Amino acid sequence: MGNWLKALLLLLFTLVWVPSVGAATDAATCLACHGSMEGAVNVDQEKFSKSVHGAMNDCLMCHLTLKGAQHQGLSGGKPDSTVQALAAAISPKGGKDSIAQAACVTCHPDIYEAYKASVHGRNVIVKKSSDGPVCTDCHGSPHYIQPKTSKESAVNHFNVVHTCGVCHEEKVMSEKYGFSTHVMERYKESFHGRKLKVGHSGAPSCASCHGSHDIKSAKDPASPVAGENKKKTCSKCHAGATDKFVAAITHKPMHPIAHFTELALIVLTISVFAFICLHVLLDIFADIRDRLFRKGGKHE
Amino acid sequence: MNNQTIPKEIERFDLSARIQHVIMFTTFLLLSFTGWGLKYAYQDPASAWIQFWGGAKMAGIIHRVAGITMLLDFIYHQFYLVNQARKGGFRLSLVPMPKDVVDLFHNFMYFFGIRKEKPYFGKFNYMQKFDYWAVYWGMFIIGASGFFLAFPVTVSSLFPLWSIQWIWDVVIAMHSDEALLAIVFIMIFHFYNEHLRSEVFPMNWMWITGKMSIDQLKHHHPAEYDHLFGDKKQK
Repeated sequence: MGNWLKALLLLLFTLVWVPSVGAATDAATCLACHGSMEGAVNVDQEKFSKSVHGAMNDCLMCHLTLKGAQHQGLSGGKPDSTVQALAAAISPKGGKDSIAQAACVTCHPDIYEAYKASVHGRNVIVKKSSDGPVCTDCHGSPHYIQPKTSKESAVNHFNVVHTCGVCHEEKVMSEKYGFSTHVMERYKESFHGRKLKVGHSGAPSCASCHGSHDIKSAKDPASPVAGENKKKTCSKCHAGATDKFVAAITHKPMHPIAHFTELALIVLTISVFAFICLHVLLDIFADIRDRLFRKGGKHE
Repeated sequence: MNNQTIPKEIERFDLSARIQHVIMFTTFLLLSFTGWGLKYAYQDPASAWIQFWGGAKMAGIIHRVAGITMLLDFIYHQFYLVNQARKGGFRLSLVPMPKDVVDLFHNFMYFFGIRKEKPYFGKFNYMQKFDYWAVYWGMFIIGASGFFLAFPVTVSSLFPLWSIQWIWDVVIAMHSDEALLAIVFIMIFHFYNEHLRSEVFPMNWMWITGKMSIDQLKHHHPAEYDHLFGDKKQK
């Protein structure tokens, strides 16, 4: 009896240890090489450990398929159908490892559902376009993702405008997808953009009005900035927003009337500036002249 | 009638006017400082500058409170003028006159040495009138647009529908560009005339005392001197 029990314990013990001996997938094992390698395959151990994913000790959770003889004996589970489908959809984007890029959805299924229905997601998954962003395009490398509240996060309230601008500032994009040209420029010069820039946490970033993972084209009736929804979105800050009020923000290029009014005001400012500068300089000149050459004159 | 009736100095600004001026320039400076950070939000020191004013929210509160105070000061000034008129002896000495244009040309001729004498300035010369009326321009353009920007939902209902596409850009340009004009004007014209001119440096103390010496009056505002004491020959 005693021997049977010992044998069983030994068997259980072995079963617990065997897989991890066979595939030593803890981060330390991988980082032993990748922590000091150069180039794209490098992972900064310190930054990784401080990231939101730093506590995850299993690289193979995302890096499900590993290539090359050096990785022999290391393998994660088989990618499930969701990951495989997304990986196939994003492979035209030319990432190194589309399986790993698609692996986010394993742990973030809700966000994936929202993304799939979004204009970004549909562009990538349905239209197989190389333009639309995948997770890493906005969030950066999963190794270094910081919480949204961190100043270093690419999707932080104060940084997300820059992140959106990477694509939405591009003229090619606005022409291809028909969103207004100068959209970023117009936002940035608006009071919203300026206030956000100087650190007003209440000022809206792109995502505050347009949404993020579930983003819709502004032409889509479901978009928070389309039709009746726009009033609701604006009234998050501007209580009682009316149709007339919400028409003010379109991110469209400046209307000619506004443009020429501003030009006229600038001309006025420069003219006054020139006149008073001339006046002051001549005054100084006359003052000096009088003091030098007209001593004992009418001064004092 | 002789010298004794000519005082050593005369009061140009009564206490109320001096207080109005202090409120005006204090709020003007606060508005300029806080507004500047937003106007040049994308130029480097802006964020640090806004931090100095207690962050974006606090700077916004300071800007609004100062703006309302300035508007009230301006409105009070209109009552002050009415009261001055009611008391009698009120002269339209600040109203721009054709003579101001003549004075302007004479002054330039004097600058260039064509005329040996400074213009025959009245109680307020054209530069001072310019200074004074610039506040009205500022209050109507910057004050009104600032008021619009502070209450956008309410104000948008007053704008006609066909103007919505551009009116807010016009309002913003009015507020921000004319504020720049006001700052430039004060920094150069007012600062030179009332602070940096060798005669008044470091400042024209009249903003505290309200008084001007008779010599100064005779020299800078000869028409006013003659108006007040013309029949009392000093010499």
